[in-house]
Amino acid sequence: MLLPAAGVVLLAGCGHAPTGGSATRSATGATQDTLPLEPVTAAQVHDRVREPGARATVVNVWATWCGPCREEFPALVALAERDRERGLRVLFVSADFDDQAHETRRFLAEHHTPGPWLVKTGRDQEFIDGLDRRWSGALPVTIVYDPAGKPVQFWEGGADSARFAAAVEPLLTTQP
Amino acid sequence: MHALRSPIARLTALAGLALALTAGSARADLAIGDDVPMKDVKMAGVDGKSVSLSSVAGKKGTLVVFTCNHCPWAKMWQTRVTEIGNAAGKAGIGMVAINANDPAEYPEDDMNGMKQRAKQLGMKFPYVVDATSDVARAFGATRTPEAFLFDAGGKLVYHGTIDDSPKDAAAVKDAWLKDAVNAVSAGKTVTTAETKAMGCSIKLRTKTTS
Repeated sequence: MLLPAAGVVLLAGCGHAPTGGSATRSATGATQDTLPLEPVTAAQVHDRVREPGARATVVNVWATWCGPCREEFPALVALAERDRERGLRVLFVSADFDDQAHETRRFLAEHHTPGPWLVKTGRDQEFIDGLDRRWSGALPVTIVYDPAGKPVQFWEGGADSARFAAAVEPLLTTQP
Repeated sequence: MHALRSPIARLTALAGLALALTAGSARADLAIGDDVPMKDVKMAGVDGKSVSLSSVAGKKGTLVVFTCNHCPWAKMWQTRVTEIGNAAGKAGIGMVAINANDPAEYPEDDMNGMKQRAKQLGMKFPYVVDATSDVARAFGATRTPEAFLFDAGGKLVYHGTIDDSPKDAAAVKDAWLKDAVNAVSAGKTVTTAETKAMGCSIKLRTKTTS
């Protein structure tokens, strides 16, 4: 059975208070410094995708150094907040380097990004092909998965609110 | 048809259509063994001369690297790309670096920026503008840096990234592009023909069709 607040479930799973979004809005200076980043492999991202509780899961791989990533980021955060109660789960995966953790945290906090706060780990090629063999490596990349964890949308490059919404809406309106 | 009368069915059908359109618009990467595309298109270089992929081809092969000035990923590899390109030229492999980015998106990627970068790095090969981004489209290039190496017969023998350590040249374990260039210059088979790494999306110029 699908839970209505998948984002809250994920926050709880990460050890953050399941407060229906308050944790995601705690982007104060303190959060910026302490926001826990979680290194993930492609397989671990897929594990997250397959966790029950979402009608649709969006995986977005981004980086602070990537212009189109920064441009589209607020639209996806807004969608994550808006449709969380409808079963939308958004997993942001940073592709920043380890020594950019401060910039990563600052960006996530500034954009009130809902957790979990994932960071890609391991060699590029393994992560790229492990996540989706269609992915060339260009950032950003967005993949939309159905509740069973099957990818139903894939694209490289930036998107706007309309494209994100159109990609998840059919899944959110489908009866479980 | 009957099923499509339900709103859910219509949305599902729309999702299917969107998926089909997404798949249909996927880039057409060159495959290993493919010929050099758009090889006679002239592209303006930082030295004021225009070159084509045909004109830069070496006796032993051609190395095409899509790159740009602004991308942090391209910057991390730019010294190594220059070294590989300069060495390739001496080994009979013609090298060209192509900037397909729209400078309207990143002013640093304009011709002045290219001239400065080429001088700074000591490029001994053409650094040119893909003024329509059509060459990048024909290659299916999506990111910077992205390398395509063709053999003496003009067949693609390597496509991918530079090596496995963008941040630290001293930590490179797999020097894929350098190894491929060395293999081609020696007339040998490239061991690893395809690799991937993350990179900046190429900001293609808007397609103008009449």
